[in-house]
Amino acid sequence: MSRNSLKWLPAVVVPAIVVAAVIAVPLQAGAAVNLPDKTPEQVLLLVHDSTVSTFSGTVSQSSDLGLPALDLSAGMTKSMQKSMSESSPEGTAASVPGASTTGALSTALELLSGSHEFRVYVGGENKSRVQIKDRMAERDVVHNGNDVWLYDSSSNAATHMSVPTDLATSAESKFAELKSLIPTDLSTPAQVADRLLSELDPSTTVSVGTDARVAGRSVYQLVLTPKTADSLVASVSIAVDSETGLPVQVVVMAEGQSAPALQVGFTALDFAAPDAERFDFVPPANATVTEQALPAQPDHARGDHAGAQGPTAAELPRVTGSGWSSIVEVPAAAVPAELGNKPLIDQLTTGVDGGRALTTSLMTVFLATDGRVFAGAVPLAQLKAAAE
Amino acid sequence: MSSSDVLPATGHSDIPGGRGGGWDLLGSEISVLFRRRRTWAMLVAVALIPVLLAVAVRLSSSTLAPGQGPPFLDRVTQNGLFVGFTAMVVAIPLFLPLTIGVVAGDTIAGEAGLGTLRYLLVAPAGRVRLLLVKYAGAALFCLVATLTLTVSGALIGAALFPVGPVTLLSGDTISVTESLLRSLLVASYVTVSLLGLSMIGLFISTLTDVPVGAMAATIVVSVVAQILDVIPQLSWLHPWLFSHYWLGFADLLRQPLDLSSFGQNAIVQVCYLAVFGALAYSRFVTKDILS
Repeated sequence: MSRNSLKWLPAVVVPAIVVAAVIAVPLQAGAAVNLPDKTPEQVLLLVHDSTVSTFSGTVSQSSDLGLPALDLSAGMTKSMQKSMSESSPEGTAASVPGASTTGALSTALELLSGSHEFRVYVGGENKSRVQIKDRMAERDVVHNGNDVWLYDSSSNAATHMSVPTDLATSAESKFAELKSLIPTDLSTPAQVADRLLSELDPSTTVSVGTDARVAGRSVYQLVLTPKTADSLVASVSIAVDSETGLPVQVVVMAEGQSAPALQVGFTALDFAAPDAERFDFVPPANATVTEQALPAQPDHARGDHAGAQGPTAAELPRVTGSGWSSIVEVPAAAVPAELGNKPLIDQLTTGVDGGRALTTSLMTVFLATDGRVFAGAVPLAQLKAAAE
Repeated sequence: MSSSDVLPATGHSDIPGGRGGGWDLLGSEISVLFRRRRTWAMLVAVALIPVLLAVAVRLSSSTLAPGQGPPFLDRVTQNGLFVGFTAMVVAIPLFLPLTIGVVAGDTIAGEAGLGTLRYLLVAPAGRVRLLLVKYAGAALFCLVATLTLTVSGALIGAALFPVGPVTLLSGDTISVTESLLRSLLVASYVTVSLLGLSMIGLFISTLTDVPVGAMAATIVVSVVAQILDVIPQLSWLHPWLFSHYWLGFADLLRQPLDLSSFGQNAIVQVCYLAVFGALAYSRFVTKDILS
C-alpha cells in the first residue's frame, strides 16, 4: 500500500511544481527593482533628454472600460456599417487602417475594447512601421520619408498617401511661433520640466512611484493623481526606462476598479536599429491600391461636420470645470441630427433620466434629450448637473 | 494493409522478449499503428480536406471578396500555396483533435479492451517503457497527420491554381521556396500544439478499459477547452488552455518572422506534458491489469 502511494507522488508533485512555476515566473519578472531615487522633475528631464531614435518592440494594449468587448464589425449588418462609414468625417476614415471598410467608429471602438498586440519598428526620423496583430490578419502602417502606406491583410487593400515636404517644415515653424507666444523662458529642458510641473500642480499630485520592471527594463514610474475627488480617473502612471528615458508603459487606473482601465506598454523592447527593408513597403501584386490625397488643410477637416461655412459661436463646444473634472458640452446645433437614431448609439448607450448615457469606467457621455452632448471623466450625476 | 485484417488490431506479435526491447517495442508500436486501416482512413480524410477546399474553389464560378470565408480562402485562386494554410485553419479546431483523440485514446485502453495489455507487460518491457512507447506513437501520428495536410495542400494547390511568390499578412512578399519552408514551420507548430492533447488522451486511456470511452473523452476535453477559451470571464485561464495558441500559427506568416507565439505555445504544451505525463505514470504503474 505504501509502495503504491509512493507511486502516486509524481501525480501530486509534478502538477504542484508546474503550478508553482506558472505563478512564480511572472512574480520574479516583477521582482523588486531598486534604482537611485529621483524627483518627478528629474524623471521628466530623463524623458526630455532621451536620445532614442531607433528601436523595435512589441506593444500590448488592454483595456477594461466596462464596454462590451465584442467584435463590433462582425455583429453588425451591412447597412449599419455603411451608415457609420458615411457619417464619419473623411479624415478619420483614412487615419485608421481598415476604417474605410468597417467604419471609423467601429474600428476605434474595436481598438479601445479588449486587448491588442502591436509590433512597432522605429528606424530614425520619418521611418516607422506599426503592425497591428489581428487574429489571422494584420494591419500595417508604414511611414518612410514622405510615403505613408496602410495595408490591411483581411481585405488585401493598400492605401498610399504622400506627405508633402512642406508639412513638416510648416509644423516646425508653427511650433516656433507657439514657443515665442509663451511668456516664460523655456530655453532649457529643466525649465520645461519645471513649468510643466507647476502647470500640473493645482490639479494633480505628481510623484515617483515604486521602481518596477517593464519589458525587462528597470523603470521609474511617474504617477499623476488627480487632486479632485470628482474625476473617474484614479491615477495615471507612466513608466520611464531608467537608462534611456523612453516612456515604455502607460497605465490608467479608474476609480473603484482594481484592474487597470487602460494599459499600453511594451512587452519586448530592442534598441537596435531595425532592418532598413522593414520600411520599404511595396504593395503586394494582387492588392487593391488606393491613392489617398491628404486634405489640403488638416485643421479644416474636423470642422466639416458642423457646416461648410465653419462653426459659429453657438456651435462651439464649451468646457466647464477644470483639470481632471472638466466637462465638455457640445451644443445641440453642433451635434449631427442623425446621431440620436443610430442603432449603434442605441446599442452602446442606456436610457437614463433626461436622455441617454454611455458609462465607462474612465469616461461618461450624456446625450440630453434636447440634443446637447456632455462628456467628461466624471460620474454621470455631474454631467446631469451640468446639463441643468 | 491487408495484414491488419488478419492480425488482431493491436497484436504485438513480434515483440522480442529479450533485453533492450524498448526500441523494438517502439518499432513494433509504430508499425502496428501505421498498418491499421483506421490510421490510414484518418490520414486519407486529413489529406482530403485541402483537396475538397481547392476543388470547391476551383469549380465555383463566383469569386470571393477579400475577407470572406475562412482566412486566406480568397487568395487561393491567385496562389495555390494558400490552400494548405486555409486547410490548416479549417482542420485545427475539430478534425485534427478528433484524429488525435482516436489515436491517443486508444493507446492503453485499446490494448486493455482487447485483452492484450497483460501480454505486453509479461515481456520485461516495463510499464513506464510501454507508456513512453505508446506516447511516442501518438506524437508521431500528430506529426504525420499535419505533414499529410501540408503536403496534400501544396500538391493540390499547385495542381489546380497558379503558384507564385506568397504575400504574407504584413503585405511583404516571399519566394516560393521560403513559403514552403514557412508551411513546414506551420506544420511543426501545429504538431507541437497537439502534443498536450495527446498526453491528455494517453492519461484518459489509462483510466479505462473501454477505448471508445477514452477517445470520446479526449475529444470532449479538446472541445471543452476551446469553449472555455471564448468565455471572456475566464480570461485569466486562457493563456493556460492547451488550445489557446492553436490558431496562433498565423504569427509564422508575418514579416519579420514572429516566433513568440511558437515559444509560448511550446511552454504551455510542455506544462501539459509534465502534468498529464505524471498523472498517466502514477495511474498506470498502480493500475491492476486484469485484462
